[in-house]
Amino acid sequence: MRKYFSKAKIQYLFYTMTHPMDGFYEIRHRERGSVPIAVISVILFSFVFSMNKMLASFIVNNTDPRTVDSLDNLSGVLLLYLLFCVGNWSITCLMNGEGRLKDIATMLGYSLVPMTISYVIATIVSQVIAQNEEGFYSIIITIGTIWTVLLALSGIMVIHNYSLAKTLLTVILTVVAMLIIVFIVMMLSDLVNQVYGFIYSIYTELLFRN
Amino acid sequence: MKKMNLWRKIVIATLSACIMIPSVSVAAESTVPYDSYNYDYWEDIVFTPAPYIPERSVSGTILGVGTFVNPQDLCVSPEGNVYIADTGNNRIVEVDNSLGNVIRVIDSFDNNGTTEKFSSPYGVCVSENGQLYIADSENHRVVVLEESDLSFIKFIENPTSDVLEDNFVFTPLKVTVDYADRVYCIAKGMFEGIMVFEGEGQFTGFFGTIQVNITAWEKLWRRLSTKAQRAKQLLFIPTEFTGIDIDSDGFVYASNIDSTGVQAVRRLNPKGEDVIKKGENANVGGDLVIANASSNYGGISTIVDVVYRDKGIYSLLDSKRGRIFTYDHEGNLLYIFGGLGVQAGTFTTPVAIEALDDKIVVLDANRREMLVFRETQYGNLINEAVGLRYDGDETLAVDMWKQVLMLDENNELANVGIGKAYLTSGDNVNAMKYLKLGMSRQYYSVAYRRYRNEFLKKYLGFILTGVVAVIVAIVLVRKHIKKKKGIYEEEGGAFDV
Repeated sequence: MRKYFSKAKIQYLFYTMTHPMDGFYEIRHRERGSVPIAVISVILFSFVFSMNKMLASFIVNNTDPRTVDSLDNLSGVLLLYLLFCVGNWSITCLMNGEGRLKDIATMLGYSLVPMTISYVIATIVSQVIAQNEEGFYSIIITIGTIWTVLLALSGIMVIHNYSLAKTLLTVILTVVAMLIIVFIVMMLSDLVNQVYGFIYSIYTELLFRN
Repeated sequence: MKKMNLWRKIVIATLSACIMIPSVSVAAESTVPYDSYNYDYWEDIVFTPAPYIPERSVSGTILGVGTFVNPQDLCVSPEGNVYIADTGNNRIVEVDNSLGNVIRVIDSFDNNGTTEKFSSPYGVCVSENGQLYIADSENHRVVVLEESDLSFIKFIENPTSDVLEDNFVFTPLKVTVDYADRVYCIAKGMFEGIMVFEGEGQFTGFFGTIQVNITAWEKLWRRLSTKAQRAKQLLFIPTEFTGIDIDSDGFVYASNIDSTGVQAVRRLNPKGEDVIKKGENANVGGDLVIANASSNYGGISTIVDVVYRDKGIYSLLDSKRGRIFTYDHEGNLLYIFGGLGVQAGTFTTPVAIEALDDKIVVLDANRREMLVFRETQYGNLINEAVGLRYDGDETLAVDMWKQVLMLDENNELANVGIGKAYLTSGDNVNAMKYLKLGMSRQYYSVAYRRYRNEFLKKYLGFILTGVVAVIVAIVLVRKHIKKKKGIYEEEGGAFDV
C-alpha cells in the first residue's frame, strides 16, 4: 500500500499539475506516479461532475435533478478513461512511443485534477451568483478544462518523447482507435449473442424433441 | 358469513342512498370522462384537477329544430346569443344565451325582392355593429345581413386582384369581422393567408401569411434531384388557417396546423404581423409529448379552431385528440382538458369552440351537438388570477394562487404568481422559495440578488473582521510553530522532519 499511497506520491499529484514537463518525465522514468491514485482521481472527477449537476445553483443549472445518475456518470467516465488509455497505448505502440500503458493511465488521471478542482470551485461559486454573472461560473470551468487539456497534451508529449505535432496527430489517431475499439466490441458482442442464440435454439430444439 | 352480510348491508345501504338522493345533473369532478393535465418546466405531463367539467350537450333535437347535419361553426353575438352554422341543413340557427331556446332559424334572406337560400353555410360571425356575416361556401360568397331584421346589406364575392389567379374560385369557410368592419376570411385552398375585405367588400390583400421554412437539407436534396423527380416531390406550401377569432382590440387570432407542432396559433396585429408570445416552453402548438405519428392518435395536435376568451386568455381546439388547450397572453399553458370518445362530455369530431360567459361551448360535427363545459373552482381560480395579472393587479391574485396551490400543489404559474408578489412586498426569502418552485429563473435571480445585497449589508462588517482575524491567527500560529521548531532544532532536533 505504501508503494502506491505514500504522502510523497500524493503530493506529487499537485506538483505535476504545476510542473507538467518535469512531473510527467519523472512519472515515466523515476516511478514517481501511481496508477491507483490516478484511478481515484478519475473516480473523484466523475463524482464531482455529478455533484455539480446536482448542486450547482438554480441560476446556472438547467439539469433536471431526477435525470442525474452518479453511477451512470461514473461508469461512463471510467469507460472513456479506459478506452482512451487503451486507444492511446495501441497507437503509440505503433508510433515508437516510449510510454507504457501504466504511464498513460497515470498521466491521464493526473491531468484530470485541475478539472476536478475547477468543478468544485465552480459549484461553490454558483451558490453566490445571480443572473448576468454566469460568466464567473463558466470561466472557472473553462480554465479548468483548458488546463486539463494542456496537461494531457504535454503528458502525452513527455511520456512518449514526442514532438508537439506528433502529439496532436497521436491524439487524433487515438480518437479513431477508440471508435474502432467500440465498433469491434459491439460487433463481437453481437456475434457472441448470435452464437448464444444458436446454441440456445439447439438446446430448446433438443428439449422439444423428447 | 356474518361479515359478508355486514358488507352486503353496507353496499345495499349505499346504493339505495345513491338512488334516493335526487340525481345531480352534473358529473362529479372526479368522474370527468377525460384527463386534465399540463406540462411542467421539464415538459413532463402533470395531471391536474379538472378545470372544466361537462355540463350538458345541446343537439338540434333538444332545441326542437331537427337534427343538425354536419354543423361547422359557432359564433357568440355581442348580445350573447349563439349562432350555429348548420352547414348540412343550409341554415343558421340562433339560440339564446342559456342555449335552451331557439330564437330564429335563418335559411333564406330577401335580396331586393328575390328570396335567396344558403348553400353549405360554413362559417358565421356577428360584428360589433350588429351585422351578420355568413360564409355561404357553395354559393361562393359571404352574405352580410342586418342582425336585427335580417335585411340584406351586401354580398362579398368574386374578389378580383392581380395577386389572385384568374380561375380562382372563392369558397369562404370561416369569417370574422373587426370593429372597423374589416372582414377576415379563410377561403378554401388559399395558402397565401387570410383574405381581407374592406368597405363595400373589395378584396384588399392577404393577411398573416405563414412563411414556409425549408431546411438546408431539403434545399440540398432539391438541388440534387432532377426535374422529373422534383415534379413528383411534395410542394413546399404554407399550411392553411383553420379557425379565426378576434379580440376587442382588433387583434386576429388564427389557428393553423403546424407540422412541427410549435405554433398552432397566431396573434396578428392590424398590419398582419404575428405578435404572439410563446411562453416558457416556447410553444403554442398543443401537446408537447406526443405518440408516434404513424398511429391515428399520435402526431402533433390538429388545431382546428381558436377562441379568444377574455383578459388575454385564448383556447385552442385539437380535433386529433379532442383536447382543449388554454393559454394566457404570455403564452403559458394554463390547463388542458377534453378527450375523444362516445361518453357524454367527449368529442368525436370537434370543429368549433366558443366562450359563452364563463362556459366553453364546443361544436361537434359528427355528434351533431354542442357540448357545454362549466368551469370548476380550479379553472375559475386560474382564470381569475390570470385576469388580474393581465390587468396588472398581481398582488391581488396571490390569494387565488394560494388556493390553486391547495388544489394543485405543483402548479408552476401559481408558484411564480406568489413568488412575484413576495418579491414586490420585499420578502426575498419566500420569493426565492416560490420562484424556484415555479422554475422562474429570471425572477428568482432578482430575488436572490436583493437577498444577497441585504445579507452583505448586514454582515459584511462581521465577515471582513472574521477574515482578518483568521489571517492574523494563522500568521501568529505559524510564527509560534517556527519558534518551537527552532528551539527543538537548537536542542538537538528531537523531531527530525
